[in-house]
Amino acid sequence: MDLQYTPEQTAFRAEVRAWMADHVPSFRNLPSLESRAGYDAHVAWERELAAGNWGMVTWPEKYGGRDLDLIRWLIFEEEYYRADAPARANQNGIFLLGPTIMEYGTDEQKQRFLPPMARGEIVWCQGWSEPDAGSDMAAIRSRAIRDGDHYVISGQKTWSSRAAYADWCFGLFRTDPASQRHKGLSFILLPLDAPGVTVRPIRQLHGDTGFAEIFFDEARVPIENRIAAEGEGWNVAMATAGFERGLMLRSPARFQRTAQRLVELFRAHPNPAPGLRETVTKSWMDAEAYALNTYMVASTIEAGGRIGAEASMNKIFWSELDRSMHRAALSLLGAAAELRGDPATTAWLDGYIFSLAGPIYAGSNEIQRNIVAERVLGLPR
Amino acid sequence: MDFRLTDAQQALRESVRTYLDDAHPAALLRRLDRDGPDPSIWYGLAKMGLPAALVPERAGGLGLTLAEGVLIAIELGRANVGSALVDTALVAAPWLARHGDIGALADIAAGTRRIALAHPINPWIADLDQADAVLTDSGLMPPPAERVRLQSIDPLRELFAPLAIAQANDLLLNLAALMAAAQMLGAAERMLAIATDYAKIRKQFGQPIGAFQAIKHMLANVAVRLEFARPVVWRAAYALQHEYKQAPAHVSHAKLAATDAAMLAAETAIQVHGAMGYTYEVDLHYWMKRTWALAGAWGDASFHQHRLDQAIVGGLMPVSPAATFLSEDKHA
Repeated sequence: MDLQYTPEQTAFRAEVRAWMADHVPSFRNLPSLESRAGYDAHVAWERELAAGNWGMVTWPEKYGGRDLDLIRWLIFEEEYYRADAPARANQNGIFLLGPTIMEYGTDEQKQRFLPPMARGEIVWCQGWSEPDAGSDMAAIRSRAIRDGDHYVISGQKTWSSRAAYADWCFGLFRTDPASQRHKGLSFILLPLDAPGVTVRPIRQLHGDTGFAEIFFDEARVPIENRIAAEGEGWNVAMATAGFERGLMLRSPARFQRTAQRLVELFRAHPNPAPGLRETVTKSWMDAEAYALNTYMVASTIEAGGRIGAEASMNKIFWSELDRSMHRAALSLLGAAAELRGDPATTAWLDGYIFSLAGPIYAGSNEIQRNIVAERVLGLPR
Repeated sequence: MDFRLTDAQQALRESVRTYLDDAHPAALLRRLDRDGPDPSIWYGLAKMGLPAALVPERAGGLGLTLAEGVLIAIELGRANVGSALVDTALVAAPWLARHGDIGALADIAAGTRRIALAHPINPWIADLDQADAVLTDSGLMPPPAERVRLQSIDPLRELFAPLAIAQANDLLLNLAALMAAAQMLGAAERMLAIATDYAKIRKQFGQPIGAFQAIKHMLANVAVRLEFARPVVWRAAYALQHEYKQAPAHVSHAKLAATDAAMLAAETAIQVHGAMGYTYEVDLHYWMKRTWALAGAWGDASFHQHRLDQAIVGGLMPVSPAATFLSEDKHA
């Protein structure tokens, strides 16, 4: 156990801090990522990051990354959130599809899909959920029927974040029409502007329309767009979901930054309720605990270990922490919380609304608790 | 930066756990409850070398750090070993090592000196009847000739009326609070295991109750709290070992997080056991009662919450995403 940074790690932090100080200020207070203007502004930020080679820091250099180990990734993220840099439009690519293609894709697929992702040229959305397949994802019905060297895709996906503006979609489709449940599914990538694909934006709780349903009406996709073998989609998707719940998607720095802002909000209040004092301290404690746990997991992975069902514990912890911190902030803002316009206030309100999605997306927390109970504690299914 | 247990630390944990599984089973707790303290337990632990763990090598010890001390304390909490070993080996020994009392340390390493801890924050002293000396703010003193026994809710705890100690000693408090937190982690692990085992075998409505989602989710909540309390305790041990300026705040965080996990584990475990959990028949109550005792010992929630609050809201400690392992805040 050595909880001190090496001089190289400290120098790396200084390098990131300097770059962020130079580049973040012109990208502060962007409109919501869930709106057209906001999405475009966030994609411009992705290209700014890519130009500095900061887009995909953990990826191998040959695909446009920096090949950073996970400790440096944590340092990068700390500096990223410390600088209040914008949310990542490219998140699905960096943390979900990128690692999936690196693990399951062919060399040709890696060359074809990874560099444009790293350059911020193609933004990806997810195609998992369907109207009748939410928490029960194995109930997927959208079909991809083989026709020569193509799949013909029909069906519907829904609740796809950023699909209203994204370029491509990755998801699970039933390639064996006679199959049931987890079998007969394949992991397929397709462009959202392909003939037969219709994207219909869904208006969300906050009023913006970044979400969408995606309808497929005999859309033709070449078989080279399938990741891993036909019928292996469930296993690939589970690996992807593991990335999503696990270490990388929600870096602790994000919650530490929120906790810091909450502490500052509390200090600025002339006469806060005594109970909020404890909530604020507890928020810092839990954000810190999440960071410490992540450093522990990162160290374990760097030493050759793997993260398993513990990823579900992470997801429960950060999503409920995020909601509770934002709720406390709204309490501190009081009557001002409902007013839109002031960026500082609106950030808390929008953050609270978004935090309500945390316990639902990436596998609802009820599903995560089942996973913890069954796979970590060994309780009967 | 490498936040992992080393191979040697893992081996230490395994060997202590293996020894205690055999030498300190739940059946022993029932016997101690019935017959009173058994001196042979101390001799077994001494033979195992545990009193020497944190004694510096120059005084005949193993020279291990507080990180290893915490690992040992977790195992002691898991097996519900009485507090004499923690107080002597994991609190008094590092305190004396920092104050250079080599003679006393050599006796501790040899297993021939037991030390009770006196601090004004507690309205009791534990294990005073077994103690060869009492550690206070000003060092070791002989135990008093007269002792007044107090009754604990924990039937395995030997408590006595406090001595008049004017000065509070922060190092003593921080070491003892850290080790109380570690013992509560161990107790929480054990209570979660007991409740999980029970949920697998207890059947109602024709199936194990552990197959019901209501039970699964309660136990999952305990697992989550415990998972995120552990690294907090390890970081506190590291900070205290290295005398970081923020170590007291980290210790308070550890005590609060471990208390939270252990109290949740205790309440969940009794709920999973149903009416059985409310009896003296199942062993669960020994760990619950130890948890209640440790939760208030060495600074209760108000004390540690207040201390952490001063650090965080009061601005004594940097609060930012980049401040988690700030080493420049080390003492000179």
